[in-house]
Amino acid sequence: MGTLVIENVVAGYGSGPDILKGLSLTVESCKAYCIIGPNGAGKSTLIKTIAGLLKPRSGRIVFKGEDISGLRADQVLQRGLCYVPSDRSLFPDMTVKENLRMGGFVMRDSRLVDQRIDELFVQFPILKEKSAQLAKTLSGGQQQLVAIARAMVLKPEMIMLDEPSLGLSPKVVQQIFGTITGLRDQGLTILLVEQNARKGLQISDVGVVLDLGTNSFEASACDVLNDPRIQELYLGKRHQTEAAEECQ
Amino acid sequence: MNQILQILMLGLCLGGVYALMSSGMTLIFGVMRIVNLAHAAFIVLGAYLAFWLFKLWHVDPIVSVAVTMPALFLIGIGYYRLVFARRADNPRFTDLTVLITFATGLVIEGVLAFFFTGIYRSTTPVYAQKSFLFGDFFLPQSQVYATVISIVLIVSLWLFLRYTRIGNAIRATMQNRNAAQVVGVNVTWISTLAFGIGLAMAGASGSLISFIFTFYPAKHVAWIGMIMCLVVLGGMGSLMGSLVASFLLATAAAFVNFYFGASYAPITFYLALFLILLFRPQGLFGKKVEG
Repeated sequence: MGTLVIENVVAGYGSGPDILKGLSLTVESCKAYCIIGPNGAGKSTLIKTIAGLLKPRSGRIVFKGEDISGLRADQVLQRGLCYVPSDRSLFPDMTVKENLRMGGFVMRDSRLVDQRIDELFVQFPILKEKSAQLAKTLSGGQQQLVAIARAMVLKPEMIMLDEPSLGLSPKVVQQIFGTITGLRDQGLTILLVEQNARKGLQISDVGVVLDLGTNSFEASACDVLNDPRIQELYLGKRHQTEAAEECQ
Repeated sequence: MNQILQILMLGLCLGGVYALMSSGMTLIFGVMRIVNLAHAAFIVLGAYLAFWLFKLWHVDPIVSVAVTMPALFLIGIGYYRLVFARRADNPRFTDLTVLITFATGLVIEGVLAFFFTGIYRSTTPVYAQKSFLFGDFFLPQSQVYATVISIVLIVSLWLFLRYTRIGNAIRATMQNRNAAQVVGVNVTWISTLAFGIGLAMAGASGSLISFIFTFYPAKHVAWIGMIMCLVVLGGMGSLMGSLVASFLLATAAAFVNFYFGASYAPITFYLALFLILLFRPQGLFGKKVEG
């Protein structure tokens, strides 16, 4: 029995075709899941559907035993399920602190929001340093950190990250993945969508391969990294031995 | 020298009203990317409402702000829900709104003309004919009152946007609609509300201009051009920008009016628009659009 159960979900945009075609996935709590797959497989669509930004056309999404399919985004947030979008989506003309405050928008108690922000400043000192700066003046990595911290204001049980490494330099990617590992160690359930499949799988417990809107392969991240078919398709074959070593 | 000071004062006295006229349109564009070409028509509608309140029940046009604002707010909510809400996800939404609102403006004009004919109207409270005199200078009382109330309304709007939870949600939606959704802002609801507030500003403008300008159903055609200039000059979607642009252009127009005659005053606006598009297309306070 997982914390998030997705059953036969069908979803798509507007009056367009189905992107998710009956996808099922069970996410167990306190584990990190990495979803990989080719462009157009429905990775982002899946996350948006879970987050309540897109209504499923059919199927069920159950979080902690409660059916959340069809709930609004704010209702999903209030149940402890947060989402960090791929373009980082900050409010460019608000300060870092104001951005974090917006993260607590669905909480009515503004004092509690400020208290949570202070806790996050302890966890991420760089954000305290930049707290009065406008979000648009930050570097890509710092913006990604703000986006993650903004989701953390709600103290979620589960966090979904869409392509956190997008557009960042390898060194910064390493830092962001370090942050995500830190969240996992805190006991958060993590659902990660990553183009950088190797890196994503390395910090995850379970790897899920999406193809054409369905769950085509699911195994421990280690097994996915070592599966010859997956290596050929998504990881590049020459890294085979390297991947095997990383799993030790 | 005195003459220049006098013209400057007259210009500044109109600036607040222009700012109020453009503030609603700026808000509506900023939050929803709707180019509301019917904005001036809604102002004329507000002016007619103030006119009949004055004519039938002798309601002072300044007091009638308390009626025209909520009335236009409700019209705005209904109009948004009926026409725009379902289309907000359309990839060509902004293009679409240009046509829809243009048509709406014509409909309002037609309906007003049908019921109230094309006769030139204005409200005539006692202060409409009086001026404040001090030394060599004079200021029409009507313009002073109208501008002061306009500024009070704009400052209230600004405080609301800056310091309330809903105001923050509106600003967040203006800056990044997608991110606002992610943090749990119901953008459909916020858009509806913002449209209502935008038209409430148009309603207040209607009341206030009813005693400083004459109006008739087709008057909105002249005003929408002017308001568009102010909104673009300020940088589409920047309240502060349209405020500064309004005072700047109102003053410039007052000088042109004095030295070249009233028929040249409107040229000031289009000339400014021409220059700004040539040299700083993002407007005074606007941001460059990337990509």
